[in-house]
Amino acid sequence: MTIDGPPAAARTDWLDWLRRRLFAGPIDVIVTLAGLGLVVWWGPALFNWLFVDAIWREAGSEACGTPGAGACWAVIEARGRLILFGLYPFEQHWRSATACAVIIAVAVLSCIPAVWTPFRLSTVWIVGFSTFYILMSGGIFGLASVGTEQWGGLALTLFIFASVSIIGMPLSILLALARRSELPVIRWLAAFSIDLTRSFPLLTILFAAALIVPFVLPQWLQGDKLYRIIGAFAFFFACYQAEIIRGGLQAIPAGQYEAAESLGLGYWRRVWLIMLPQAFRNALPPTINQFVITFKDTSIVIIIGLFEVLASGNAAFGTAKWTHSYVEVYVFIALIYFVFVFSLSRYGAFLERRMRIGHD
Amino acid sequence: MFKFAIGALGALAMLAGGLATSEVQARSKTLDAVKARGSLLCTGHNGSFLGFAEVDDKGNWKGLDIDFCRALAVAIFGSVDKLKIVPLSWAQRFPSIQSGDVDVIIKATGWTMGRDTELGLQFSRPYLLGATQIMVHKELGLKDARDLEGATVCVAGGTSTERLAANYLASLKVKHEFVTYEKTEELRSAYFSKRCDAFVGWGPNLAVTRSKGSANAADHQILPDVLAMEPESAAMRQGDDGWVDILNWLFSSLMLAELNGITSENVDAMKANPPNSTIGRLLGVTPGIGKRLGLDDSWAYNVIKTMGNYAQIYDRNLGKDSPYKLQRGINALYNKGGVLYPLILD
Amino acid sequence: MQGLLRDEKIRGRLLQAAVLAVVLLCVGSFIVTARQNLLDQGIATGFGFLFHSTGWDISFSLLDYTIDDPYWWLLLIGFLNTLMLGLICIAVATVLGTLIGVARLSENFVLGSFATVYVEIFRNVPLILQGFFWYAVVTHLPSPRRALSVFDAVFLSSRGLYVPGLNVAYWSVALWAVLAVGIVLLAKRLAGRSVGLTPLRVGWGAMAAILVLGVAMAFVLTPAGQPLIDVPYLKGFNFRGGLRITPEFAAIAIAIIVFGAAYIAEIVRGGFLSVPRGQLEAAAAIGLGRFAIYWKVRIPLALRAIMPPLGNQYVFLMKATSIGIAIGFTDLFMITSTSINQSGQTIELLFIMMMLFLVINYSISTLMNLVNRRLALRGFDNDD
Repeated sequence: MTIDGPPAAARTDWLDWLRRRLFAGPIDVIVTLAGLGLVVWWGPALFNWLFVDAIWREAGSEACGTPGAGACWAVIEARGRLILFGLYPFEQHWRSATACAVIIAVAVLSCIPAVWTPFRLSTVWIVGFSTFYILMSGGIFGLASVGTEQWGGLALTLFIFASVSIIGMPLSILLALARRSELPVIRWLAAFSIDLTRSFPLLTILFAAALIVPFVLPQWLQGDKLYRIIGAFAFFFACYQAEIIRGGLQAIPAGQYEAAESLGLGYWRRVWLIMLPQAFRNALPPTINQFVITFKDTSIVIIIGLFEVLASGNAAFGTAKWTHSYVEVYVFIALIYFVFVFSLSRYGAFLERRMRIGHD
Repeated sequence: MFKFAIGALGALAMLAGGLATSEVQARSKTLDAVKARGSLLCTGHNGSFLGFAEVDDKGNWKGLDIDFCRALAVAIFGSVDKLKIVPLSWAQRFPSIQSGDVDVIIKATGWTMGRDTELGLQFSRPYLLGATQIMVHKELGLKDARDLEGATVCVAGGTSTERLAANYLASLKVKHEFVTYEKTEELRSAYFSKRCDAFVGWGPNLAVTRSKGSANAADHQILPDVLAMEPESAAMRQGDDGWVDILNWLFSSLMLAELNGITSENVDAMKANPPNSTIGRLLGVTPGIGKRLGLDDSWAYNVIKTMGNYAQIYDRNLGKDSPYKLQRGINALYNKGGVLYPLILD
Repeated sequence: MQGLLRDEKIRGRLLQAAVLAVVLLCVGSFIVTARQNLLDQGIATGFGFLFHSTGWDISFSLLDYTIDDPYWWLLLIGFLNTLMLGLICIAVATVLGTLIGVARLSENFVLGSFATVYVEIFRNVPLILQGFFWYAVVTHLPSPRRALSVFDAVFLSSRGLYVPGLNVAYWSVALWAVLAVGIVLLAKRLAGRSVGLTPLRVGWGAMAAILVLGVAMAFVLTPAGQPLIDVPYLKGFNFRGGLRITPEFAAIAIAIIVFGAAYIAEIVRGGFLSVPRGQLEAAAAIGLGRFAIYWKVRIPLALRAIMPPLGNQYVFLMKATSIGIAIGFTDLFMITSTSINQSGQTIELLFIMMMLFLVINYSISTLMNLVNRRLALRGFDNDD
């Protein structure tokens, strides 16, 4: 909770703070008391359910679901690995865990400004992603081969997210450039596909990729359902990201472009050296926001029948023993998402603030 | 005369040759594709369908339908490792087989005319039968479906049950409210939280849900109405008769093994010393069972050795060795009062 | 040849021709392959199935529906369900989001914290998970026989919320609304035409006319022998009569509203923060009161920053209705998905669904562009 606190000098006088921030007027008094009342009323009950009355260990889990029992966290102990790793072979879970750690490390690394050169960024992502892929699918270095239909849980969520980003990013740059191209056919095609894609819900696009694409492509081109869905998702991502980059490109003063042209730089060098770096700097906050949205949207693939973290959570309470514990499982999954998304969006807000300081 | 004899011989030879080539052609396209790919793609579930496709603590699939998928993989490749279970929702079964994401649907799928004709599917012989029935909360005190006037009825979306229930209640002129769910977990929790008065489902699934999904099985009752006797079959793409043959004889062989008391434990002894010629043919001691289907002659032996006979598979997943303890009932073999029977292995 | 390629114009044309050719080739091969695949598998094609009866029932419909109705009617119902869900979500999320956005800017610590916690929780958890959660909440309300009730007229149970309704058809309410808008427009034209027609008098007159019209229509259109007000009552399993909000609709609507409001709150907050401090100080300097500064300066300026992202958010919320399938709300997507499974017409049904979504989104963006243009014209420093 980052509420911009009062200046440090005022904090010394806490009575003044109370008066200003809690009891400024009659309405404020009512609001404050009502809010505190709500906390006092609901807080203890929630706290008891979450912690005091909760059943933590699988050993005592017979009491789960009986009246008066608190949260049944035993389900996480018993089925947590299923939620995190899905259908992945049990003895190989360490590979899935390491792969997740690698992708998270890559994501953290790419948040550091020192890495923000095209070369470093692409190196980090390509190396990280290949490590992830090799760890997960195996088949070399003595690792047993594991097919994608056995990937699941958090690892699959991260895989979808990472591959959508990796494929979508370059594609979005191409689309943005195509939409600003001077060649009418290319400009028109890009605009058409971007606008069309953006008018459909992601779910319908993924659905079409899962169901229609196999009809229109010859057998040898179809690939796994997972890859078809990632392809469609990446294109969807690229269409949104392309508009963000286009916004960044439009914010570049015309003089920059003219200066680059007068230096005699060719189109691609103008784009690569002058335009894109500035466009990305302009478009950084919405880009981070787009990543946040994409990460949350990965949960939609449950409807297409992929075994991502939400689906494996469903399977986790879907056996005779744990069928009552769905709230606990949902809370656990919500926490996983919250940790990722919250830190990413906080980071975005931090960048935005930093940039605003730089500009003013 | 001599000329005629030569001509007749030649004609016979040509016929034989023709038969020989047609025997090769009679093999299945799908089987060839499966072998070339090196793996069989079979249906799983997007979550868990108790007793038929669920996921254990270690992330392994288990259940009756899953075991039949495994049996098919063993029949083709001799081991379960080559099986890939593709998680699918109910509504995606048919699009997925049309698009080739799976080679066969073994997912509690009923044989209906619409599916057989308009959807371009083809079915194996039924491997399990169940009545479509209605489960209600006992506290409501209902006698039969006529008492459901004004009730809320829940079903799984995109299933044959959905249509059966709508037709049945419409024919009784019972006014009701329908709620359909894409996800089995949502359907189950909606019924148990009393969002619905009634849960229309396929018998074995209702029994499993009642016995283990609920806190107290006695709180629920299954109404006597039988909406339909639904046969569950494996569904395949149309136009591949050889593939249907394999599924039919797979189910038949599992039942034949049960009939003759061949289990995974005694199959080796039986193979070493077959008590009769049928068992000899089944276990591949007398060649023929494999070649006719384009498989190895020991495929049935492998299946029984790895997966057990029909009774073993049933008991492990639904019956006495499972948490659900479902009676065989109508799904016993014909000599034990059921309707299942093996085909004739000659 | 080398010379030709070096000419930028010709190179551009060649490139365009090549791209166009590749695109056409791809589309052509898609069509050919699809036809072949469908033929091979013996799947029926064409739109004839739209006139076949469906044979299955749905839970939520604004129009009459029986299992003998054809597919096109069902798709229309799905379209209307999606449209209604989306519009209600947009309207309520806007109000809630604005309140929370303003609360976040409040000086009051408790109010500000509540708003912040709200935004951070609901913005950072996937919508579909929130849908599952709210559905679990509404289905765990008490059963109808133990429903929570207010004056025995409003009932809340696991079957949804029942409130008293009018015993008239939907279309007559729509007709009344249209006539009311007509009266207001007429009143606006009449106001100030002559001395007797002061805006105040015209306003009162219009209101009275609308009310009289409503009462008259209610009396004429109410079926004979039935009361005007339809109060829900418990009979058998469930309540009868009254207006009803089903649990599925409630859960998906709450999820989308709560999620959307968190985003809209941020948009509103951003909009207010974007108003330059100087403008407000200037307004205070020329002696405007606190209220006047808010209404005349702060809100109009903030609105121009809020409208464009708000329009995008509306489009997003409309599309978000498609997750209704996860909890059993019969929106367009769920009806399409079930129809695909029951009829096997994958390509045709997906095509129809996508076209309908295109219509919805195109209408929203056109409308929002119109609003934007009107707002922008009133401004003084237009960038566009």
